[in-house]
Amino acid sequence: MSFDTDFFLVALKQAILFTPNTLLMAGIPLAIGIVAGLALAAIRVFRIPFLAQIARAYVVLVKSIPLTLVLVIVYFFMMRAFDGIMQSLGFRLHEKDLDPIWIAVTALSFWAIGNISEVFRGALTSVGTGQYEAAFSVGLNRRQAFFRIVLPQALPASLPMLCNILIGLIKGSSIAFLVSAVDLLNAALIEATGNYRYLEAYVAAALVYWALTSSVEQVGFRLERRFTLQTKGAVA
Amino acid sequence: MHDLFDPATVLLYLPKLLAKLPVTLLIVLSATAAGILFGLALAFVRLYRVPVLNQATLLYISFVRGTPIIVQMFLVYYGLPMLMDLVGIDINRWDKLFFVVVTYGLHAAAYYAEIFRGAIGSVPAGQAEAAYSVGLTRFQAFRRIVAPQAVLTAVPNVGTAVAGLLQDTSLAFTIGIIDVMGEVKVIGGNTHRMLEGYTGAALIFLVLALMLERTFFSLETRLRVMRHA
Repeated sequence: MSFDTDFFLVALKQAILFTPNTLLMAGIPLAIGIVAGLALAAIRVFRIPFLAQIARAYVVLVKSIPLTLVLVIVYFFMMRAFDGIMQSLGFRLHEKDLDPIWIAVTALSFWAIGNISEVFRGALTSVGTGQYEAAFSVGLNRRQAFFRIVLPQALPASLPMLCNILIGLIKGSSIAFLVSAVDLLNAALIEATGNYRYLEAYVAAALVYWALTSSVEQVGFRLERRFTLQTKGAVA
Repeated sequence: MHDLFDPATVLLYLPKLLAKLPVTLLIVLSATAAGILFGLALAFVRLYRVPVLNQATLLYISFVRGTPIIVQMFLVYYGLPMLMDLVGIDINRWDKLFFVVVTYGLHAAAYYAEIFRGAIGSVPAGQAEAAYSVGLTRFQAFRRIVAPQAVLTAVPNVGTAVAGLLQDTSLAFTIGIIDVMGEVKVIGGNTHRMLEGYTGAALIFLVLALMLERTFFSLETRLRVMRHA
């Protein structure tokens, strides 16, 4: 059995066609992760009693339990609980109506929130306490100091790391085929079920993933360079 | 209608899942060993900028870091037999574990290459120059002066890489390995209690990750103390 170039091109086309689904499964968790991750990071940086401990435990759980397991746990939980939850909310929806993409989005969001909160926590703590003190000295309160002084410094610093998170999400979304969501990988694989030319399908998917992650990486490099130039400029 | 979640079943499954832990650990350990050796070789190619090989290594590292490991695993699983067939060796019937260890070893090597390159590069050039000035050869200077300092920088990152590898093994079951994850599928097939099975597996991974973190943390502290003693 040799490499079938014609079929490879067919699989490549399918993979590219379903790339929007992969981007959806990476983009939505990224957005959720930025909002919730920032809240989690702020809770930990300001050491809010009780909530800070919960946030810490959450991060440990997300960092220690493989994404695959989170995905299958969410999936099997939904299989059992979805009908009940929808019934109690008054919706006439069944587990069969649920697009598995949303199961993948849920699992990836758990992952994104934990990891992005760590990025923001690092960025927030890297802004010196002198910044708060200076803000307080001119009469700003804690909230104002955080949103007007500290956050504008911390956010640009974390942009390159957020690009790494996005790369992680794009790669992580590839396991969505385990719950039969159709992303770029699964689209290529479905094409191969008829003729067993799985190698061609995997090569096609790999190339699309490589192109996607390389582009995000380039954006990350640019942001990093721009940010370091800006800070250098401010100092000089 | 059965309960949403039955904690007692999790406890019932744990011993069965733990019985498959050696398979998971075998994958982690052998892939780490292979990855460190191959990764060190790649790091030297990058550090000495060996022509052609340097560019090839860059491409290799970019590919490994830029594509999902599940894709890499199936590329090895389907592609390696085809490549070996070209030179007349039939590996189609080899144990699936072989393909898994090859994949994870190759994958880890790309990460270790960058870790080692960074660690060795972080040792100031003056250290090697000072070593040459007192008559040490290139190998001696590396072995006695540069390497001991580089190890200290590398250890925390190696810890992160091993923890990542441990998590990645959770995908080996997709090609039919019966490790902790695979065992859940086996049990679940008979009892339809997959949720409890996977929760048990999650507990095992959680404990392993925490133990790994402790181990590397104490290793790091010990190395630091040794250097300053």
